Amino acid sequence: MWKEIRDRESGKVRPNLFTSRIRSNRVAALQLSNHKEIVSPHRGSVNSLQVDLTEGRYLLSGASDASIAVYDVQSATDYEGSGLVARHKSLFVVDKQHEQGHKYAISSAIWYPIDTGLFITGSYDHYINVWDTNATQVVTNFKMPGKVYRIAMSSLVTSHMLIAAGTEDVQVRLCDIASGAFAHTLSGHRDGVMTVEWSTSSEWVLVTGGCDGAIRFWDIRRAGCFRVLDQAHSQLGRRPPLLERSATNKGSTSKSLLAGQSSSVKSRAPQKKIAHGNGSKQSAVSRIPNQVKGSGRQRLHPGMLSSRDRATAHYGAVIGLKATEDGMYLLSAGSDSRLRLWDIESGCNTLVNFETVRLQTGKAIQLAITQDSAHVFVPCMTAVKAFDVWSGKTFLTFRGHYEYVNCCWYNSQDQELYTGGNDRQILVWSPSKMIHDETDEWRRKGQAPAQDQDNWSD
Amino acid sequence: MSIWNYVVTAHKPTNVTHSCVGNFTGPQELNLIIAKCTRIEIHLLTPQGLQPMLDVPIYGRIATLELFRPHGEAQDFLFIATERYKFCVLQWDAEAAEVITRAMGDVSDRIGRPTDNGQIGIIDPECRLIGLHLYDGLFKVIPFDNKGQLKEAFNIRLEELQVLDIKFLYSCPKPTIVVLYQDNKDARHVKTYEVALKDKDFVEGPWSQNNLDNGAALLIPVPPPLCGVLIIGEGTIVYCSASAFKAIPINPSITRAYGRVDADGSRYLLGDHAGLLHLLVITHEKEKVTGLKIELLGETSIASTISYLDNAFVYVGSSYGDSQLIKLNLQPDAKGSYVEVLERYVNLGPIVDFCVVDLERQGQGQVVTCSGAYKDGSLRIVRNGIGINEQASVELQGIKGMWSLRSATDDPFDTFLVVSFISETRILAMNLEDELEETEIEGFCSQVQTLFCHDAVYNQLVQVTSSSVRLVSSTTRELRNEWHAPSGYSVNVATANATQVLLATGGGHLVYLEIGDGYFRFHDLNLITKEHLGGEIIPRSVLLCAFEGISYLLCALGDGHLLNFLLNMNSGELTDRKKVSLGTQPITLRTFSSKNTTHVFAASDRPTVIYSSNKKLLYSNVNLKEVSHMCPFNSAAFPDSLAIAKEGELTIGTIDDIQKLHIRSIPLGEHARRICHQEQSRTFAISSMKYCQSNAEETEMHFIRLLDDQTFEFISTYPLDQYENGCSILSCSFSDDTNVYYCVGTAYVMPEENEPTKGRILVFIVEDGKLQLIAEKETKGAVYSLNAFNGKLLAAINQKIQLYKWMLRDDGTRELQSECGHHGHILALYVQTRGDFIVVGDLMKSFSLLIYKHEEGAIEERARDYNANWMSAVEILDDDIYLGAENNFNLFTVRKNSEGATDEERGRLEVVGEYHLGEFINRFRHGSLVMRLPDSDVGQIPTVIFGTVNGVIGVIASLPRDQYIFLEKLQANLRKVIKGVGGLSHEQWRSFYNEKKTVDAKNFLDGDLIESFLDLGRSRMEEISKAMSVPVEELMKRVEELTRLH
Repeated sequence: MWKEIRDRESGKVRPNLFTSRIRSNRVAALQLSNHKEIVSPHRGSVNSLQVDLTEGRYLLSGASDASIAVYDVQSATDYEGSGLVARHKSLFVVDKQHEQGHKYAISSAIWYPIDTGLFITGSYDHYINVWDTNATQVVTNFKMPGKVYRIAMSSLVTSHMLIAAGTEDVQVRLCDIASGAFAHTLSGHRDGVMTVEWSTSSEWVLVTGGCDGAIRFWDIRRAGCFRVLDQAHSQLGRRPPLLERSATNKGSTSKSLLAGQSSSVKSRAPQKKIAHGNGSKQSAVSRIPNQVKGSGRQRLHPGMLSSRDRATAHYGAVIGLKATEDGMYLLSAGSDSRLRLWDIESGCNTLVNFETVRLQTGKAIQLAITQDSAHVFVPCMTAVKAFDVWSGKTFLTFRGHYEYVNCCWYNSQDQELYTGGNDRQILVWSPSKMIHDETDEWRRKGQAPAQDQDNWSD
Repeated sequence: MSIWNYVVTAHKPTNVTHSCVGNFTGPQELNLIIAKCTRIEIHLLTPQGLQPMLDVPIYGRIATLELFRPHGEAQDFLFIATERYKFCVLQWDAEAAEVITRAMGDVSDRIGRPTDNGQIGIIDPECRLIGLHLYDGLFKVIPFDNKGQLKEAFNIRLEELQVLDIKFLYSCPKPTIVVLYQDNKDARHVKTYEVALKDKDFVEGPWSQNNLDNGAALLIPVPPPLCGVLIIGEGTIVYCSASAFKAIPINPSITRAYGRVDADGSRYLLGDHAGLLHLLVITHEKEKVTGLKIELLGETSIASTISYLDNAFVYVGSSYGDSQLIKLNLQPDAKGSYVEVLERYVNLGPIVDFCVVDLERQGQGQVVTCSGAYKDGSLRIVRNGIGINEQASVELQGIKGMWSLRSATDDPFDTFLVVSFISETRILAMNLEDELEETEIEGFCSQVQTLFCHDAVYNQLVQVTSSSVRLVSSTTRELRNEWHAPSGYSVNVATANATQVLLATGGGHLVYLEIGDGYFRFHDLNLITKEHLGGEIIPRSVLLCAFEGISYLLCALGDGHLLNFLLNMNSGELTDRKKVSLGTQPITLRTFSSKNTTHVFAASDRPTVIYSSNKKLLYSNVNLKEVSHMCPFNSAAFPDSLAIAKEGELTIGTIDDIQKLHIRSIPLGEHARRICHQEQSRTFAISSMKYCQSNAEETEMHFIRLLDDQTFEFISTYPLDQYENGCSILSCSFSDDTNVYYCVGTAYVMPEENEPTKGRILVFIVEDGKLQLIAEKETKGAVYSLNAFNGKLLAAINQKIQLYKWMLRDDGTRELQSECGHHGHILALYVQTRGDFIVVGDLMKSFSLLIYKHEEGAIEERARDYNANWMSAVEILDDDIYLGAENNFNLFTVRKNSEGATDEERGRLEVVGEYHLGEFINRFRHGSLVMRLPDSDVGQIPTVIFGTVNGVIGVIASLPRDQYIFLEKLQANLRKVIKGVGGLSHEQWRSFYNEKKTVDAKNFLDGDLIESFLDLGRSRMEEISKAMSVPVEELMKRVEELTRLH
């Protein structure tokens, strides 16, 4: 660390490279925190976690016992172990006892993106509630046609106050907080919608993943869906992506083409040279199957070609979606235990092969991604795995929960990961800290020795 | 201090980041254009050397600088892109001698992640498009139309994630880029793409090359007839084109910069990380490349840019040392070097640490910086104002005037120094031993006060007293003629030159005499022009002088103000009246010359030198307390000296170069990282690092060195252990101990460790000029910061703040014993203390405020700023307000909210000021660069000095609220009148900007903009004056006061 600081102060490392290096070093050092604990008050499985987007300070959790809790992740409520372990107790809990509380499990709890004055919860009791944080009162609610699986608001939002809701119903609804009514219903999915995610580059674009295996893109200013991701549509005809060699056995038709193209770059160089004489023509030919342009055609026709409209992204339900912060890629998780990385602009499946073992299938899962889009955190049964986004290799495995993990949230400000599972716990994973140095000082003074606590969860 | 701060640059950036050569100011003129991060300088190549033409600020950090020539243009245009995604195209307007903006725009995108490896901006050699790589995975194209106008930009997806360099290839039918990139397995490859402008996409290019040198980081496109590209690695250089592939091994080095020598691209200059300059030659038979050759030319500063000018002259711009103008000789010198350094251009960057000291104990701060890096590391002593180097002095009370005289009209040196007192005149002269001794000129009247003396034609001297004018032979020293004032009309004031004498006598008469060979001739005088000064203060001294061919009339008033007018030599008209305040006492004006240029010395309670630069009068204070009289005294023994009368003393001394900031350089040959001064032992201690190249393996050695604070010589050295780095240094004393110690914090930087787990605190005492280790304490991490705190030592060690007591052991020795600590930081990098309060600047979590509780002997957190700022420096302005600098080149202030109603409010540091400085600050220190006179308005304004990576020394001054409001209004008006180069907006530039937010600057003012008011023409000043409803004079006075802060 000193070396990086030294290089930064002499101008050898530019400041943004400095931060990204330190962030990725810290991500690589994530482990079950030895200095921070979140005390979960939930009596049911934790289904949703989110830290507010304005200050990065308040964690909101929703659980199956219909309880919601908020924690301050920056300031501890009390300390344990000679002040070495900071405990973060909930600032408040809303549960079934609350007169306006949900009746059944809360599937999703999110902050209002502009400030922490409001938060929104979606529940299996068919309701979406909008809460005033300070008063812990419901200010408005929406009755949905079925169980609410996932709700989302755009983090970029400046001109609308829409909650996108995926429910048991085939239609995705947009609930307008400003009016208290449904602004849109988006039809297209053939089954319930497990997961919804707003674009990270436009406040008007919504992505939804359904139990029908489809991932649909919607521009909410227009009618209909403008793109359906097709797992078989890989980067056909495009300049070969970097990593297709590590990709395997999926989209086999395109795969062979790609492999042929990429493996022979060197050997083909002389041939290309010959082609160079009339190279412009040759390359023009190679551009014909340009699927990017195709999307423009799709947009013209809201209903879309029926064949395209049936395309699926996963065999089985789409259970998790996460867009990278740069707005260029989308990650999807399916009940087929696959994780796919999509290029948003072209809608192509990048064919990165993620080494997932198994994903839980019955429930939506909440994925998280690092700020630099390098790593994705995925609940894989009782563990959470961090994958390298570009190679699909397992980067880290976080084992700590006793039962299935449902959700994770990556706090990019502090490089901490919060995970919640069916064991009702919320675990904090943070870059390891050396905290043994003061213990020897304490010991020498004859004070209570702070035992290097063995973390209970191993 | 207050929350209303004024930020001003005392020393402009000097780190050269880019340079290019082309015909910018005219088709036949060759220009060197240099970018110094936030400034560009345009120079003209002349047979005499580089002639500066323009030096302008850019409202942005320059990311790319390129010259290009659109079709049909006779001269080059300049393309600039800034790090905040603005770009502009500039053209030179020869008539107005300024740059005009041809095009400008914003190239930021909603999607994409900013590149880690820096922005790339390139222009197609056939001028078909501009290419920008600003975000990972995107290549932005700005096409040109046939007329050379820019069209709408679009993005092309670039699959290569880790792009290291992109260049355009020459002579391609379609614009073709070559991309150097790194894949997931850290292997590096190049690839070519054709840009299909119609399809707005790439087409696979003519060739590619896989698995290059692991250190390949630089591409050099080769112009026709050879074409292709050179790929510069750390161990090999490769030439690559569609038809050829040639490689040569090189000594391991990291090439930082290149410069093309020939237009046909067969020779290149390469500058590496160690400052070695190589010549790379592409050998070829006609258009067929046959091989590569590389030859070592010699050593320069570590180059960040190389521009080959002409005729073997090369400009080497540096980020780590002084930039240089070098000449490449055909024959090597004795050391085998072909490089001859012709000129050095001072660069203070990177300033990694500095301290403010008053070495001369004059009440004026000097800044001693740790500047440069690697072999070019140095200490720089930066001082404001002009220094006088005293050479001789005599005690003499009550001097009323002084003049130097020559013994013959054609004598190049002065011999006599006439010193006038209230009732006598004494004459000093240089004797044979080169000593100043009293002598006599028989023809002079020595029993009365002399009003004026001068050399006259025909080997004569003129002496004016209140009763007569005497003409004396300078050879025989006898009186030749005398003119007596009429009785009752004594002479009050007089002036003379070699042929003329002008006297003012009582009763308001003027007498004009012309000097002949032993006689006077009388003439009449006519009034040409009359200027009313107004006011009640009488003028005490007037002077006609010419600077840079412009004639001025200077008129000094009794209250320390100075009026200056432009004088029309033909009509005698006085125009452009300006008034400045130099001091509070009457001023006496005198001209003198130094380095063949005329300057004016204004003697008063605040002696000032008036000089002219860029046809503008500048005032620079002289580092003397009070001067009553001055005269130049150019004797054989003391050439180019001044005689200065001050407080009962006559001093002869030489004067520094006439400029505002004086920089003395102490080259170290190693990289100084931390510095601190100890008043008691009159020493500096530095922590430094030396790179040693021993058989291809680079090792670092770290030292603590003790330097004498006058000579700056190393007087003692303490070598640190292997892998041990010095991280912090402090001079302090402890309670119950009268000694003053140097404390040094270190870290063991093990190659395999991410974060140091071991360090030391070393306590030294200076005894007989030697560093003696008194105590040492091992720590569990790097000691990033040390502070004296309540007679104890406060250290920041990795995540923790730790307080140590200075304990006496039974055997009489001392040791550091830990008392208490506080953790909860990611990394506590920067710590400042005040009373019991501790302000911590964290690696990434902004400020936190801690308090030490004496009773409990514990440190507790009081408040925190919950924003995620990555800090680079912190300082405490006053009890409640703390100043911070962060990673995205912003400045901000936070305020403690002790009156908050809730715990939550009290526990939050409120952000009260935000500002984008555009410079990376490494250190703040309280202090001032100028002498603080208690009676002046600015004397009371507290200031903080900062030092940055680009070599900027800046000043932050806390203003009273009403002054802030006034200046804020002035700044808003100036923004309307002064347009940024390239149409860049000042308001946007100064807005606080990071990954998460952009907000307008608040509670900070840009002093550089405000002070540029003084450079405006009269009409624009009046425009502002009208908008502000404040007279121009008043505005100038207030702005001039501010310039005294630095």
